[in-house]
Amino acid sequence: MAEGGDVEWELSKENIQPLRRGRDISALHQALSQQQDGPTSAINQQRQAFESELRMYDGDDPLGVWDRYIKWTEQTFPQGGKESNLTTLLEQVVTKFADDKKYNNDPRYVDLWIKFAENCPEPLDIYRYMQAQGIGVMQASLYIAWSEEYEKQGNHRKADLVYKEGFSRSAEPHDKLLQFHRALQARVSRQVMMTVHDDSSDDEPQQPERVSLADLKHRGKKKAVAPVNRTGPAIKSISGGLQSRGAPVLGNASNSRLVIFDENKNQSAGSSGPAPDPWAAPPTSRAKENEQKAERWCDVKIPQKTKFGHTVMAPPPPKPTFQPFVEESTQPPIMTPCKINPAVNTVLSARKPTKEETPLKRLQDHHQLQREAEVGKVQEQSMYCKELLLRGATEFCFEELRAERYFLKMGQHSQSSKPETDQPSV
Amino acid sequence: MTSTLKGITLKGSAELVAEFFSFGINSILYQRGIYPPETFTRVTHYDMSLQVTTEPKLNNYLTNVVSQLKEWLFECSVQKLVLVITCLETNEVLERWQFDIECDKSAKESSAPREKSIKTIQDEIRSVIRQITATVTFLPLLETQCSFDLLVYTDKDLVVPEKWEESGPQIIDQSEEVRLRSFTTSIHKVSSMVAYKRTDSA
Repeated sequence: MAEGGDVEWELSKENIQPLRRGRDISALHQALSQQQDGPTSAINQQRQAFESELRMYDGDDPLGVWDRYIKWTEQTFPQGGKESNLTTLLEQVVTKFADDKKYNNDPRYVDLWIKFAENCPEPLDIYRYMQAQGIGVMQASLYIAWSEEYEKQGNHRKADLVYKEGFSRSAEPHDKLLQFHRALQARVSRQVMMTVHDDSSDDEPQQPERVSLADLKHRGKKKAVAPVNRTGPAIKSISGGLQSRGAPVLGNASNSRLVIFDENKNQSAGSSGPAPDPWAAPPTSRAKENEQKAERWCDVKIPQKTKFGHTVMAPPPPKPTFQPFVEESTQPPIMTPCKINPAVNTVLSARKPTKEETPLKRLQDHHQLQREAEVGKVQEQSMYCKELLLRGATEFCFEELRAERYFLKMGQHSQSSKPETDQPSV
Repeated sequence: MTSTLKGITLKGSAELVAEFFSFGINSILYQRGIYPPETFTRVTHYDMSLQVTTEPKLNNYLTNVVSQLKEWLFECSVQKLVLVITCLETNEVLERWQFDIECDKSAKESSAPREKSIKTIQDEIRSVIRQITATVTFLPLLETQCSFDLLVYTDKDLVVPEKWEESGPQIIDQSEEVRLRSFTTSIHKVSSMVAYKRTDSA
């Protein structure tokens, strides 16, 4: 046997994201060897095939196509990243079938939601949304993923409550839920034991240890000089991350800890546990600091600039309430040359979507639109198959769609014409 | 292994391989999460840091196995060592680490020591263990509580010692297999491989 055989995976191990379900080694090898290839590579062909299938599929189970496509993407793009379009696909599939009741508790769909949630900045919001919408509430996998997220954030109590909710809803498979719940309890009790053990062994006063990457208070009034002793009261604030065992000792010394405002620590402290909140409106908007609230714009005059950077004159003043005296001459009043080109709209253009627009918000906006459509509110309707073209990760053009339909028809034709030619002539 | 020893004897080789198994098994148990990480402690060996268990019962068990293995290696009667990882609740085999041992039977106790520097052997062992650690890139996450078992393939005429019992091969059905590196002491050659349950590709 060759020494170590195929070791490409080991050489690129930093570039391979481990998957929960593991990776198929042959797919991994194919992916790694073909990463350099251009647009005609096998990978791109396969992807094109999937994209066509997404649009042409005619059967009962459209979710199946999406599911296979996404699983293929995960295996074929070990690094993840933009090239794989994984996030786009996940967002699309999740939005597309959000209202389709028949998929609500389909395990594949729920797994896709969970992958989507893990890609979002705030997975807990997604899980709560899922619960409110009734998606996956009968599946154990939702509660397991939800609880793991709480556990990751250190909230063991909530993590436990999630399982209780799962049991009360009789989520299936029950055994799996039980198993994971027990594992959680084992982990929590071990942690508790460990902290107890640590506390009891902290008898001797520890040498104040130097903490790395900590901000130091400077000494001296006029000239800021770094302290010689970089432990104890010289530390300004304790950031998370690299803390040695000396941290508890320091905690006593410096009481003035900087509490860093975290906009992401949303008001979930206030909201109740996993009880379903009515989710008509989008979730709590991110509490950002230093942002002025939107105000009425009318009375504020801002010097406007044209495209070329010249400061434009203020807009023409409003008409006076009295009638100005006009001389009885036949000449009409001379208009002052208007420097504002009416064709150029110098008013501030519409704001581009900021990064605050999370996938969840987009999903909810989509939901909102759909509900409004049902109510009968006038919707913007496109007169071409926009949805069909934009489905999936890449955009199809009309000709590609037409070609696919043509190939399909040709395929059907050849199948139907075969029996005629095969008739045996006796 | 004192540095005054030049070359590898049969006895020395058996010890090296047994030592590798001891550290290797500990590493696998740590990596795959069979036992909680808090029950392991870091030691330095082969010029790298390794995790070794501190749990007394496990330690005892492993020490016994390793000393028995050493004997068998010396006698050149062992062919494979397999570490099987099973799900505790469903008894399903999830992973299977197989180490094939080839023994050069021409090396006897009294024959002259072979020329191979210990450093080279240790470097090779280090690569193997590093590669075992790197397998996390494609191995599925073991989400459930798992137990492990050690199987040894020996020569047919070997008497099964007291503490061991006969067992089946415990093969995974529908498995993916990946060959890993091998190392050789010039008397014993050990190649490794891992098999895991195939991912459910749609």
